[in-house]
Amino acid sequence: MTSTSTSDEELMAAVRADDLDQLVPLFERYHAPLFNYLTRLTNDRETSEDLTQTVFERILKYRSSYQPSQPFKAWVYQMARNVHADHWQRQQKLRAADADVEDVERTGALRGAAFSQMRVANHHDDLHEALNLLPTPQREILVLNRFQGFGYEEIGQLLGCTAEAARVKAHRALQALRKIYFAN
Amino acid sequence: MKTPELSACHELEALLPAYVERSLPAAEADRVAAHLAACPACQLQVTQLRALTDDLDAAMPEVPRTALRANFMAMLEQQKQLLTPDAPVAAPTQPVAKVVSMWPTALANNWMRVAASIVLIAAGVLLGRNLSWNGRGADNGVAANSNKPAPVELAQSMRQASASDRIQLVTNTSKQTEPGDPTVQVLLNTLNFDANPNVRLAACEALYRLREDPQVREGLVHSLAIQTDPNVQITLIDMVVAMRVRRAVPQLEKLSKRPDALPVVRAQAEAGIGKLI
Repeated sequence: MTSTSTSDEELMAAVRADDLDQLVPLFERYHAPLFNYLTRLTNDRETSEDLTQTVFERILKYRSSYQPSQPFKAWVYQMARNVHADHWQRQQKLRAADADVEDVERTGALRGAAFSQMRVANHHDDLHEALNLLPTPQREILVLNRFQGFGYEEIGQLLGCTAEAARVKAHRALQALRKIYFAN
Repeated sequence: MKTPELSACHELEALLPAYVERSLPAAEADRVAAHLAACPACQLQVTQLRALTDDLDAAMPEVPRTALRANFMAMLEQQKQLLTPDAPVAAPTQPVAKVVSMWPTALANNWMRVAASIVLIAAGVLLGRNLSWNGRGADNGVAANSNKPAPVELAQSMRQASASDRIQLVTNTSKQTEPGDPTVQVLLNTLNFDANPNVRLAACEALYRLREDPQVREGLVHSLAIQTDPNVQITLIDMVVAMRVRRAVPQLEKLSKRPDALPVVRAQAEAGIGKLI
């Protein structure tokens, strides 16, 4: 909840007013954290680069819908969540389509991408393997809290719950991760 | 009946992350601390939670490749170009003169390039068909009767024509000129001052055919000092050697020592001196 000088919000207000160059400093501030967030969710660096790019495309596309009163960080992460959700749905459709032989042929390239995702996931260390075994909602909360520096207030805003509920969820997720991490 | 200890452990499990995080209210923190002192199982949990928290904190962030930034910049440029057509829309209402880009989008630019290259290729084909490309020996036919512009006209056309047209003019003019013809002076000017080295080379060849004219020998020696293009330099050296222009020796000596000349040019100049003296 900082309200410092040349804030994200001021920059985004300028972008909204078609001064697109002001997106560059916002890109510098956010692309690495967003990429990191998306990589933890997808376990696929290549896909995450594409998704990060998509986030910034959507920022431009929907810039007129940005309200300067709302925190940019919350807005952009909401967008990143949606981008990831869309990606996840596409993947689900893909898996459903696998039953159909013709569809399999049509989506061969995408299945190749899914395979490379598996391979990348195998490279991760124990901690990331444990994280990957968590259900996505729990993993997301931990990623936001531990890797993205989100406070419970911000997580609550993003997930549409109270800060206290976000805190309880985060603690449950941490316990769940502990059990997986120290399972053997 | 549950043992009081187990139910206490179960109850406290939810509090332990907050305890590790030190975000518990003091009263509850004291209660957990009191339980921990007597419960090794919960102590282990706390140890594990601390280790896990440390590992999470130590986890290296995933760093994107630089391609991500490049892609972003490309996308941004594209979006900016899409914006620019909006500005000139208002232009017609303003009486003030204004520079308006005719081809504002990348797409238009690309099409322009494709169109321009087609025009260029077509022009090249036309030129190739219409202009006579007769070489040295071909004194008959089209070239003989069509091209013998007067030196004044030639000088004038030289100023306006494109490089390939200039080459054509130079090649054709030299055919039937006699010694003492003012064309020699035009060709020497071309040799010394034309911006295009290929035109200068064509002028060299034309002048070689007019080698009987004393102006040519003088002019070539003078030009040796001026030329910087290695192809023209070497051609000139060959010419003065072939024409046995002794007076060129001092210029060749200078050229063989010029630090800005290519080694091959310096070697050629030295070899030329050897043949001339």
